[in-house]
Parts: sequence; structure tokens; C-alpha cells
Amino acid sequence: MGCLRPRRTQGSPRIPIFCGPFSSKGGFRPSVVKDCIHAVLKEELANAEYSPEEMPQLTKRLSETVKDKLKEMGFDRYKMVVQVVIGEQRGEGVFMAARCFWDADTDNYIHDVFMNDSLFCVVAAFGCFYY
Amino acid sequence: MEPGKRRTKDDTWKADDLRKHLWAAHSGNPKGDKKHREKKLRKESEVDFPEDKEQKHRDPDRDTKHRERPAERDGHASRENPRGDRDREKPRERKKDSRDRDRERHKEKYREQDADKSHSRGKDRDKDRERRVRREELRQTAQHNLLGWQLPEPVERRARAGSKARAEEKERRDEGSEWGDEERERRYRERKLQYGDSQDNPVQYWLYKEGGERRHRRQKEADRERRHREKSSVREKRDKHSREKSNSFSDKEGEDRHREKHHREGARLDEERHPGDTGRKERSSREELRKRESKDSEHRNRGASSRRDPTSSQEGSCALWYAESLVRNNGKDKDSRKKSCREGSAVGKQALRPGSAEIAEIEKEDTDIENAGTDEYTPCLEDDFEDYEDDFEVCDGDDDVSNELEPKEKIEELPLARKKEIQEIQEAINAENERIGELSCKLSQKRGLTEDANSSPPRAPVCGIFMDFATASRRQKSRTQALKQKARSTKLLRLIDLDFSLTFSLLDLPPVNEYDMYIRNFGRKNTKQAYVQYNEDNVDRDTQTEEVETKGVWSQHPAEGMAVSGGSGSGDPCDTGAPKVNTPRLSHFLRAACQVIAVLLEEDRMAAEPSWSPAAQDSALRISDSASQLNTSLPFLQNRKVSCLCASQVQRQTVVSVHGPPGAAFDPVLDGRYVLCVWDIWQPSGPQKVLICESEVTCCCFSPFKAFLLFAGTVHGSVLVWDLREDSRIHHYVKLGDCFWTFRTATFSTDGLLTSVNHRGPVQAVEPISTSVYKKQSFVLSPFSTQEEMSGLSFHVASLEESGVLNVWVVVELPKADLAGSLSDLGLIPGGRIKLVHSATIQLSDSLSHKGYEFWGAAQTLSVKFLPSDPGHFIVGTDMGLISHGTRQDLRVSPKLYKPQQCGMRPVRVHVMDFSPFGEPIFLAGCSDGSIRLHQLTSERPLLQWDGGTDGHAITGLRWSLTRPAVFLAQDDTSCIYIWDLLESDLGPVAKQLISPDNSAPLHDIMSEDGEPRQHLLCYWKRKTPLLGEAMGDGCGEFICRNEGLGKEGSCRSPPCCPPALWSPESLSFLIPARSSSPRPWRRVVAFGI
Repeated sequence: MGCLRPRRTQGSPRIPIFCGPFSSKGGFRPSVVKDCIHAVLKEELANAEYSPEEMPQLTKRLSETVKDKLKEMGFDRYKMVVQVVIGEQRGEGVFMAARCFWDADTDNYIHDVFMNDSLFCVVAAFGCFYY
Repeated sequence: MEPGKRRTKDDTWKADDLRKHLWAAHSGNPKGDKKHREKKLRKESEVDFPEDKEQKHRDPDRDTKHRERPAERDGHASRENPRGDRDREKPRERKKDSRDRDRERHKEKYREQDADKSHSRGKDRDKDRERRVRREELRQTAQHNLLGWQLPEPVERRARAGSKARAEEKERRDEGSEWGDEERERRYRERKLQYGDSQDNPVQYWLYKEGGERRHRRQKEADRERRHREKSSVREKRDKHSREKSNSFSDKEGEDRHREKHHREGARLDEERHPGDTGRKERSSREELRKRESKDSEHRNRGASSRRDPTSSQEGSCALWYAESLVRNNGKDKDSRKKSCREGSAVGKQALRPGSAEIAEIEKEDTDIENAGTDEYTPCLEDDFEDYEDDFEVCDGDDDVSNELEPKEKIEELPLARKKEIQEIQEAINAENERIGELSCKLSQKRGLTEDANSSPPRAPVCGIFMDFATASRRQKSRTQALKQKARSTKLLRLIDLDFSLTFSLLDLPPVNEYDMYIRNFGRKNTKQAYVQYNEDNVDRDTQTEEVETKGVWSQHPAEGMAVSGGSGSGDPCDTGAPKVNTPRLSHFLRAACQVIAVLLEEDRMAAEPSWSPAAQDSALRISDSASQLNTSLPFLQNRKVSCLCASQVQRQTVVSVHGPPGAAFDPVLDGRYVLCVWDIWQPSGPQKVLICESEVTCCCFSPFKAFLLFAGTVHGSVLVWDLREDSRIHHYVKLGDCFWTFRTATFSTDGLLTSVNHRGPVQAVEPISTSVYKKQSFVLSPFSTQEEMSGLSFHVASLEESGVLNVWVVVELPKADLAGSLSDLGLIPGGRIKLVHSATIQLSDSLSHKGYEFWGAAQTLSVKFLPSDPGHFIVGTDMGLISHGTRQDLRVSPKLYKPQQCGMRPVRVHVMDFSPFGEPIFLAGCSDGSIRLHQLTSERPLLQWDGGTDGHAITGLRWSLTRPAVFLAQDDTSCIYIWDLLESDLGPVAKQLISPDNSAPLHDIMSEDGEPRQHLLCYWKRKTPLLGEAMGDGCGEFICRNEGLGKEGSCRSPPCCPPALWSPESLSFLIPARSSSPRPWRRVVAFGI
């Protein structure tokens, strides 16, 4: 996953502080993230019905919510990418897949699926480590 | 404004960069020139409005002046060291700028004096035009050469000088257009003269008077002025020309515009070139800058573009203002250029550097640093660059001031119509300025940047021209940063392995099949959830927390003696009793007991019936106490002839009768089949088992130990086996009348099996071969030795065919029945457990034919008997009166044939033979000619032969008595039974009994039914006797039977010929012919059975 690393604030180069996946803070932990995503999905989509007009906003809101929550969790050296897909359940088959070009030691991803009678929602969160 | 910005960037460049930039600028120039020329033409067509012209002329005029002076002053320095020079030049330019404006105002005073010179203007204009064309051409050529810039300079300079005159002209407008030009020129000349005359002093004085605040700059300016004037004297003529030229305002203005345009384009080209020079980073930072200033530049661009449209007065005025500012810059440049040209130096490049005059003093340092090299500036300057917006603000403010001043003058001087127009233009300019001011204000507020101590608001700001510093610095900075990042990333990438992850399946939702879809859409409609209770939860569970105390008591009513009731001490008699029940033993007992009970009941019934009473038969059966008749009146036995009777040798009560096909059709199941009935003679009311067979049964026998197997031979040569233990369910079940009858088919049949060895003709005899049974009998009923030997099923069966083939079969009991049938044992009924395996074949015809009787043809074998004591030996009766003696092991035996006493061959059938049951090696043979022979095994000839005992009737039955060794019975084909007692008489039978229908009702029934009464009579009798529990000879009392085992007691008088050893409780029955001299010696046959 070619994540753009936005420029840091200008100034003298920082001394790199290692707070990656092997530090005490820990890396991108899928289990924790998954719980978070799951909670968000449950809360937001508990009684959601699919309607084509609302879905774009809902998708954005969900992704923002998840992203914010993830940021709160303090993966501060991680670039988060949250992808939300909501589709209607009409009986068609759906197959979604993701492939990443990344450093497998540090980067990770997690996804969660929420389904009810009218829609399915897939949230995938990718965490890429800043070096 | 963009072009301005870019232009300022040039200042930061080194000489090399600048050169490159110029190269780029040249390519853009021609276009600009062309445009310029077109505009010029247009403008000239509008010459009718002199005021307009004049107004516009004024600025270039002023600019020209500006241009000249600094150029003169800086000429030398800039030539030698352009960079350093410029730095110094900047503050000076600033001063110049302000001073020029002042001077312009000053000039107006002398306007009147110059008016007379206006005549020459027309001529001058023509000349000027020519000159212009020339100049343009030159410039175009010069554009290809950097140095070429110098060539057109003189001309250009002249033109610029002319612009001064234009400014004067404008002032003169008030007095009159016709003399205005002359007057202006004159005035200008006068002023020049004045300058020249009074040298520096008047100007200095004037300047001093004018702007006290600019006093500090005055000295320098004065110097400059002086120098300029010295030179100007030389150029006097040229000045004149330029003054004339200035009449063509469009020319001048176009020139300015062109210049400005040229710079802009050059800057644009610069921009394109920059990436190559300074790197991408710079561009990005510059773009950032541009974005920030986008609002400003919008306005500015609009202004710039509108400037090119001369028809629109408002925009034109805008452009005018803009042009003014630009011209100011250009003018200075040109001045310097002019000077450098005059000096003959090649530093024309500097002239191209625009806007340098506008750079504030305070920014001198910055430019110094930038000039030192873009690569070397330090990041600490960045903040300064960010303040450039503020500079705009200030700059605008300055512009406003200048603009305010100018219109005022104009309003005073211009006629009303013009005034109005000018006012409009002025308003538009003001509005524009305000807008720009607001925007820059906003921008500065937004940023909230405070000005550093060293970056006080810069003066002389024409619309962010100096912004190139910021851009450049940013570019530089971002470049270094990029380099750093790049270095870092390369280092990191060495450590990090980037790889493609596996493909994560985020969602795999299979398509719903049609049914599910249907159910989802419609499945819930019209449905209801219902619940049904199946009483599943109604469960009883006993819970016992305390043990229940039980106590057994009994009572008796009516009371027997003293005991009426009592309690049991043990209390749990039933508990101990229940487990003791031995189910197999109980069932065994019950089976036996039921049989006894059934038999007793049967007896009772028989006794109750008068026809069955022994008394009624008394007369009929003199040799026996009584007789009973087997109930052959059953529906399926009616109209069937009994063809054969056979009794088990061990279970004497078990008799099988073979019934032929029925005379009349009765039942489709049974019609055409032969029926065999197994009887228990204790229960004559019905057969125990009913067997059916497809082919005619010629002979049969029971298994030697227990009568649960029945073997039969058929006319088709097959040997059949019935297993009487079989479950009735695997057989055919027919309801006849009130009862169900099971018709059993053969368990095993050799039909179609082993065709190579099987019989091909009718089977004449079937005999079991078992040593044990004969041993037992030969040891005379030893009570204790037989039990074990009777168990087990290892015995052979021999079947004799008419043609002399003796087959020996092994009876095999399968360990487990297979209800599905067997694949290998094709003759086996499904579920059957008994089969016959062929063991040996003995050909008897050979031994018989060897004896020289071939002329008789092949001998027929009729019967076979095995020696009880040695089953390896057997005798075979033939149809030639001979009895063949053979062994199973093909051993040689001493007499090969037993022959009758008569010599020669006679066609006599030896049909019946019987070994003595008492172990004596003797046997009896009955012949069809009525003779009975008593043979010893070891001798060829018989011991005794009775030829006339039966009056020539063929012997059909012959039996030794089982209890009396010297007694045997014979039966002839007339149903007459003869009893021989050798002890009494060896000459003939001691008794003879004709069993006829007339004598005995039961016998009569049988005889009448089966049509062969005689043979069966014997069997019948033999079997019948044990049934009749007690029998006593009437008066003679010659035999007494007693069965101790059954507890039935009869009068026990031992017959004289009967050894006491015979008496055994094990012996089931005895056939005891009574010996009597009375006419009815066999009146009673007494036997006891279990």
C-alpha cells in the first residue's frame, strides 16, 4: 500500500523516536481495532436500512468515525486508511479483496463486516507505519 | 501580478541563471513586439483625443527620467559587478522614485515656457516612428544575442527621453492643445538648462524644500542628477528627438507595455526553466506561494489583461495605473541600460532586471543573501519571506498615495468632460486598490504573522515583485528537505522489506439461490408460526429421599392347622428368588412339561372317545393291547396315499409318514407336491411338522442321535434334508380351516448340485452312518455312555441309487444362518443351517458284475444297511437274490456276496434287511419270493432260511425285536404280520396277524387310505405299541414292561427270553411280542415310553 507520507512540520530534522510495533506502546493491534470497528458498526448500523440517498453520507460518516476512534487509540506513528463499503443486500454475490504493498512486519490491516437484511457494510482499516 | 513576482525572482539569480533566463525571454519577445505594434497602430488611429494621449504620455515621460538617472549613476558599478551594484542601487532607486514624482510636480511650473516648442512635435513624431521601427528591428535581432541588447539602447533611450516631454505635455493641456506641445518641450528644455546651469544646487535646494523626510537621500540624488545633466548636454539632440517621439503616446505606452509583457513572458519562461535549475522542490513551494496569493494575482491579472484593451476606458485607466508602476521600474532599468550602453559595457543584462528599484531598503540584506547564491541562504530567512503579503499592503498604500496626488492635479487641469472621465477612471483605480488592499489585509490577518524586527514593512512595493525570494527560498528549502527525505528513505528502504501481502478477502458473499430469494421475498407472507406440544415435558420422575421399609407377611385362608399368618424374618424372599430364575432351564422344563401334559391330555381325550378305546380294538388287534390312529383326516392329508413310514431310531415316538400326491385337487399350494408329516405318536391328533417336497420321496430316515433332521431320497436322484428346528417363519404359511400350518420346504437339496457325482436315478435307500448310535445299541443300552455321543452332528448319510452308486454325504451344520441366502451353497434355503457335502462315491455295480452274472444284466441295488458295530461295512441288497458286502474304504472283505441257500441265480429282490440290534454280527434279509434268510457276516451262505413262512408272499418288512434278540417280525405284501421267535421255534413264525380293514377301524382307515397297508402296518405296529401305555397279554403274561423313569407302573413280569439287562429307563420303548399259544398271541403289545 503506497501511503503518502505527508511532510512533517518544517524545522530541524527530528531525532527519530522509535515507537513502532516493537516498542512498549505496541503496533497496530488488529484485535483492538476490530473491537473498535465493531462497536462503531453496531452503534451506527443497528437499525440501518439501505437507501441509496443516505448511503454516501453514512459511508463518509462511518469512515470518519472509525478513523477518529482509531486516532484516539494512539497509533501515532501510523498512517490510517479506513475504507468503508456499504452495499445493498439483493441476493447477488459479492467478493471484495484487498492487496497491500507494505512492510509486513509493521503494517497491518483489519476488517469487519456488518450485515443485516437490507445491507452489508465492510470496514477495512489499514495501518501503515511511518519510519 | 504574477509576472511581477516572477520578475523579481530574477534578482535572486546569479549571472549565469540570468543569462539563461534571458535566453528564454527572447523567445517570448517577438510575440510581445508584434502585439505591441498592432496596438500602436490602433492607438494612432485614436489620436484625435490629445488629452487622452497626453495623459498617458505623462507617465512614460516621467519614467524615462527616472530611468536615465540611476542608469547614469550605476552604470560603472553595475558593469563591473552587477550583483553588488544592484544592492547598492536599490535604496537609491527608491529615493529616485520618490524624487521623480516630486520633480514632476515641480516641472509643471515651467510648463508655460515650454509651450512654444510644440510645433516641432508633429515632425518629431514621424521621425520617431521611423526610429521606432528601426529600433524594433534591432531589438528583435538583439534578442538572439545577449550582448545585442546594447545596440538598440541608444534609440530606446531616446524614446524614453521623449516620454519626459509627454509628461509636460499633459500639464500643458489646460492652456491649449495647439501650443501645448511646444510649450512642454520648451519648458523641459528650460528645466534641463536650469539643471545644467545651476548644476546641483537648484535641484538640491528644491528637493530639500520638497521632501524633508527624504533629505537623507538627497545627497546621492544630487550627485546623480549632476552626472546625468553632464551627460544630457551631450545628448541634447537626442532628447529633442525623444521629446518629439513622446507625442505618439501609443508608441511609448506600447513600448512600456511591451516591455512589461516581455518581462512577464520572460518570467514565465523562467518559471519553465526553473525546474531544471533548481529542482522540483522549488516549484512546489512556489506553487504554494502562488496559491496563497491567488486572490491577489487574480486581481492583478485582471488588471494586466485589461490593460491590453484600450477601448475600455475604465480598464484602460486601471491599466494606466498599472503601467505607471511598471514603467517606473522599467524606466530605471532603461536608465541604467542607457548608461551602460554609453559606457560601452556589455552589462545590458542588468537592464532587464526589473523591479529592482522597488525593493525596499530593509530587504537589502535579503537580496544580498540571495544574490550570494540561492543554494546558500539559511532557513532563518523564511519568516521574512512569508511577510511578503504585508509588503503588498504597504505597496498598495503607496500606490494609493501616488494615485491620489495625480488625479487631483488632473482634475484641476482637465476640462469638465475629461474630468468626469478621469474621475471615473480614478474611482475604478481606487476601488481596485481598495480591493487589493483588503485582500492583502485579510491575508496578513489570516496568517497572523508578526513582523520581525529586521523586517519592517518594506517600502516601494509594486505588487509583490520581491516575492520571488520567498519562492526561491521555499524552493531551496523544500529541495533540501526533499534531499534529506530521500536520503533517509533510501537508508530506510535498505532496512525495510516491502512486499506484497496476501490477498485479503474482505467479504465473500455468495449469491443467494432462487429458493432462498423466494423465501426471503415471499416466504414470510401468509405464514404463521405454530407450536405443538407433544407432551414431551410430561415426565414423571420419582425421587426417593428415604428408603422405604418393606416387610413381607403371609396369611392363609382358610387356615391350615395353626398357621394362619406370619411374618418373614428375611423380608425379601422375592428379591432373592427373582435372579435365580434360569430362563433357559425354565423354558426347557416348560417345553418338556408341556409335551407331557399335551400327551396326557391327548390320552385322556382318546380314552374318552369310544372308538379309540382299547377295548373296542381288542378283537382287532390281538397282538397288541391297543392301537391308536394317527389323525390323517386333516384337510391337506385327505386323498393322499401314504407311501412310506419311518421312525427315528433314538426318538421312537417320532414317526414320519410320506404322503403321495392328492387324488383330488385341494389347494394350489400343495397340489402336485408330496407331503411328509412328522408325528409324535404320543400326539396322534396332528402332525408335529408338515414338510412338502416337489418330487416323489422314495425313502427317508432320521438323523441318528436326535430326530431333528430328516433325510429323504427322491425318484429324481436328489437327497433332501429337513431341519426340523428351523423357525417356522422362514417357511410357507397357510391357513387351513381354523389352524395355521407351516409347510416346510427342504433345508438343503442336492438337486442340480454336483452333477458329476450326484445320483442320476431314483434313490432307493437313505441310511445314516454313525458309529456311536450303533455302539450305544450294541452295548445294549448302557445308560451313561450315550449322552455325550448323541450331541454333535458329525455323521454321514449314505444314499443308494438303483444303478449301484452309493454316495456318502457329510452333514454339516453351519455356525450361523444367513437369511439372505448363500452364494456358494445353492441348495440351501435362506436361513437354513444344514447342508450336505459330498464325501465319497462307491460304485457297487463293478463288484456285482464281476461275479459272472453278467448275463443277468446290470444288477439293481435295492437297499443298504450299515453294520452297527462297524459303519465301514455295509451290505447291499440286489434284485438277484444276492447281498453284496462292501466297505467304504475299499477293503477286501471275506464274503463278497451273501447268497441264498439255493444255488444259481434267481431274480429275487432282496428288499429288506435288518442287522441285529444286539451287536450280533447277523442280519435278516427278506426276499420278494417270500423267503427270509438269516445271515452271518462271515459266511456266504445263510444260517437259516425260511422259504415258506409267508406262503410265498413277498416280504415287505422285517424287523428284529429291540428287546428280545431272538424275536423278529416280518410282514408280507398281504398286510400280514408274522412273528418269529427263534427260541420258541426256528421253523416258522410263532404268530401271524392279518391286519385288515375289517379287523381294526383305525388300521382300516389307514389301509384304505394309503393303499399299501402291509408295509405300513408293520411300521405302524412297531411304532404304535409304545404308545399304548400298558398292555398285558391276556392270560399269557409273557411280557412285562415297566418304565421306571416315567413312574408308570405296570405289572412287571419279566418274559423268559428277555434278559434283565434290557430293562432300562432309557429305552424309550420296546416292541415286545407276546408269546402265547393262544390263537391271539399278539393281543397286546406293551410298551412304556417316556
